[in-house]
Amino acid sequence: MLLLDYQNVLIESLLKDRFAPEATPTAIDQIVSDFDNVTFHISTPESKTRILISTSIKCYRELVQYGAEDVLQREYGPYIVAPEQGYDFSVQVDLENLPESQEEKDELVRKISLLKRNAMAAPFEQAFDEYAALHEEASKYTSESAPQGVREGGGVRAIHYRDEEAIYIKASHDRVTVIFSTVFREETDRVYGKVFLQEFVDARRRAIQNAPQVLFRHDPPLELEGQPNLKAGKGDVGYITFVLFPRHLTPARREEVISHIQTFRDYFHYHIKASKAYIHSRMRRRTADFLQVLRRARPEAEEGTKERKTASGRTFKVGG
Amino acid sequence: MANHTPAVVMDNGTGYSKLGFAGNDSPSFVFPTAIATKGPTGGAGGSGSGRPAVANKPTFLTGGAGGHLSGKRGTEDLDFFIGDEALTAASGPGYGLHYPIRHGQIENWDHMERFWSNSMFKYLRVEPEDHHFLLTEPPLNPPENRENTAEIMFESFNCAGLYIAVQAVLALAASWTSSKVQDRSLTGTVIDSGEGVTHVIPVAEGYVIGSSIKSIPIAGRDITYFVQSMLRDRGEPDSSLKTAERIKEEHCYVSPDIVKEFARFDREPADRFKAFDARQPGGRTVTVDVGYERFLAPEIFFNPEIYSSDFLTPLPNIVDTTIQTSPIDVRRGLYKNIVLSGGSTLYKDFGRRLQRDIRHLVDERIKLSEAKAGNAAKSGGLDVQVITHKRQRHGPWFGGSLLGQTPEFKSYCHTKAEYEEIGPSIVRRFALLGGPGSS
Amino acid sequence: MSQSLRPYLSCVRSTLTAALSLSNFASQASERHNVPEIEARTSPELILNPLTVSRNQEERVLIEPSVNSVRVSIRIKQADEIENILVHKFTRFLTQRAEPFFILRRKPIDGYDISFLITNFHTEEMLKHKLVDFIIQFMEDVDKEISEMKLFLNARARFVAESFLTPFD
Repeated sequence: MLLLDYQNVLIESLLKDRFAPEATPTAIDQIVSDFDNVTFHISTPESKTRILISTSIKCYRELVQYGAEDVLQREYGPYIVAPEQGYDFSVQVDLENLPESQEEKDELVRKISLLKRNAMAAPFEQAFDEYAALHEEASKYTSESAPQGVREGGGVRAIHYRDEEAIYIKASHDRVTVIFSTVFREETDRVYGKVFLQEFVDARRRAIQNAPQVLFRHDPPLELEGQPNLKAGKGDVGYITFVLFPRHLTPARREEVISHIQTFRDYFHYHIKASKAYIHSRMRRRTADFLQVLRRARPEAEEGTKERKTASGRTFKVGG
Repeated sequence: MANHTPAVVMDNGTGYSKLGFAGNDSPSFVFPTAIATKGPTGGAGGSGSGRPAVANKPTFLTGGAGGHLSGKRGTEDLDFFIGDEALTAASGPGYGLHYPIRHGQIENWDHMERFWSNSMFKYLRVEPEDHHFLLTEPPLNPPENRENTAEIMFESFNCAGLYIAVQAVLALAASWTSSKVQDRSLTGTVIDSGEGVTHVIPVAEGYVIGSSIKSIPIAGRDITYFVQSMLRDRGEPDSSLKTAERIKEEHCYVSPDIVKEFARFDREPADRFKAFDARQPGGRTVTVDVGYERFLAPEIFFNPEIYSSDFLTPLPNIVDTTIQTSPIDVRRGLYKNIVLSGGSTLYKDFGRRLQRDIRHLVDERIKLSEAKAGNAAKSGGLDVQVITHKRQRHGPWFGGSLLGQTPEFKSYCHTKAEYEEIGPSIVRRFALLGGPGSS
Repeated sequence: MSQSLRPYLSCVRSTLTAALSLSNFASQASERHNVPEIEARTSPELILNPLTVSRNQEERVLIEPSVNSVRVSIRIKQADEIENILVHKFTRFLTQRAEPFFILRRKPIDGYDISFLITNFHTEEMLKHKLVDFIIQFMEDVDKEISEMKLFLNARARFVAESFLTPFD
């Protein structure tokens, strides 16, 4: 596996099973978790044919502030129900009242399995829209005469999606800047992470010219001036900045770009761990090699005549 | 952060892995413990023509700016599938299928490490740093294996906390949901019958009595084979392994007495004989008659001679011997709490038959010893009870889920900090979860 | 093999061969004890002069001979932070599996990354020159392994970064 999935595999496979024409409705009650402190509760509280999917997201209040409700309304409109106790957002699907065609069913499964992605997409969408507006505005001026607001861009949207880590998004007239703050809890991870991030920074220069620009630094970038609770200076805190250029912000691309950039943190950590696993397997092989060499130091056991057995049970002697 | 996320429960068995979150009543994922990797022959690491090596990668990797890296050496370790996807991939060219666990114990750590990595990031979608993990191990697992597991869990995945429990003990905990169980004791005999092998494991106060464990080479697969051979003998239109397995799962049950059951089949054939619609590849459906194998197949537990010629001891006798070889002061508890676990114990009336047979054995022995004592001393009798419950199929997983959601679970785990302080040997000991003193 | 590596290894080899003249030596302090004197250090006359073979500031081998045991400690080359971590990981991985290695010391001497303890019982059971071969091969392979792992990490990082950024293209 190279890239992480955007959707939740469990929800996807579960709904697919239930939506199949020959499936019999059964009761479900599962609490499952997803990356970044997101929890889902899939249940059938009223009847076996009505599946309720609720989600709780740590930063839901911030997301609402950045327009999550509109995005979710747009995506799930008729399926939205009042949020379940203890959760932030709920949708309900009635198995007796499904769309007719298979494509529509698949589309519904896909949509619901992307619940986390869609909720988290709100601030990105808002920032992209803001960029579009600013861009419109800015095209009326030359670079010198632009008013202050247009030149500097809008405010910073902060999403504290994990306890110690956050995403900051800022739109300007010619770009959208996405900043991930990251904390390494372990020395090895920090060192590996540094190697990885260096390559992220260099990748654009070397191979992929059209990729977003990536910057990495230990103290908060200037864009984040005035944000509360910024840690800086120490080696285990880092800020990764992605600069999305207009070519990434076109309406045709934005869905994909938003999905993809959201997975950055988990992708990054997944690969650090996968590398450690690979290095482990190298070390295992090397250790076995060393043992082999050491075993050569033992004088061979007496090479006497050995009795061997054939499959049919006859014995004969070899060597001597 | 790990304090308010549910614990992850992973029960990796020889055949199937059960993965899910603590607190749920069933695992989120159940799939084969299989991993498909690039075969040593297919594609040869993407060098030369290496078509299959490239074809399975996402298309954007083969073209575009990143092209010079694709198919290069050094990324093969990311190119693998686990579970059902592994079976699919291995049926095509280029991939070889491996089972990292043999006889309950992890044999190939490289594969297991990658299996876990994919389980976490692709299926469960958890960041291991945020979750506590409850893993299972077979009885008599060498402590070195535990240490290797801890090394992977803490060093590769940085998981927040780790607890490793013995499957049999978890199966006992799972039986607490049964209404027959009054006290939540961790003393009992676990009969764990899966696909490959059946174990009888005595557990006293949460500790496995290793010297008395017995295993029986008869389990789910043998029952399937037995059904299949009966179908073949009769010349049914479809006698594939899959059909046999479906018939086993849907129609088989345990009869109290085979002779009477045969008579009953002859008396009321309409009621007893069933038909099974087997769907064949290509969409055709054929009807397979289901007859005596309905009760004969599970009968091989009780009368192994009808199936095997080298293993002849019936299951009830094995259970009895197991308990008789255990320390005398726990035997009463072992007889009183015989817990079933695993898919091959799900046949209707399996527990009832087992209980009756064991009780017969016990009563006879008591009678015999009373006679030897000249009827001077009367025995108070011995209580034999076999517990069947709803969570038998994934018993160990469910037990893990039950214990993993208790508030004190996290304090029983070893944390990453403790691991760094003491080293892998820390996992040789775990405080007994759900044992005396905890709620 | 680079210019300075060959003389370095051959120096270690001859020193080690010379040092490995061990004899069975029962403890002078207590009856029926037979302990590696280099570890126990019960008496100064049983310890010979320790010797350090250095290739450069980073890489060196400390050989401490005694009457019935030799301790060999190796400082592995670590040019930067990454190599440092990798060496640390690898030596820890090895010492974790010290049991089948017989001569591996579970804890390195201060200032070194990995230590071996060879006693007279080892030299009696195993061929001496092959033991020396093992140490030499170990030193060669460890360096190779560390630099390969580092190369891997860099290549992997590049691959991962490009794979993530390509969809934006």
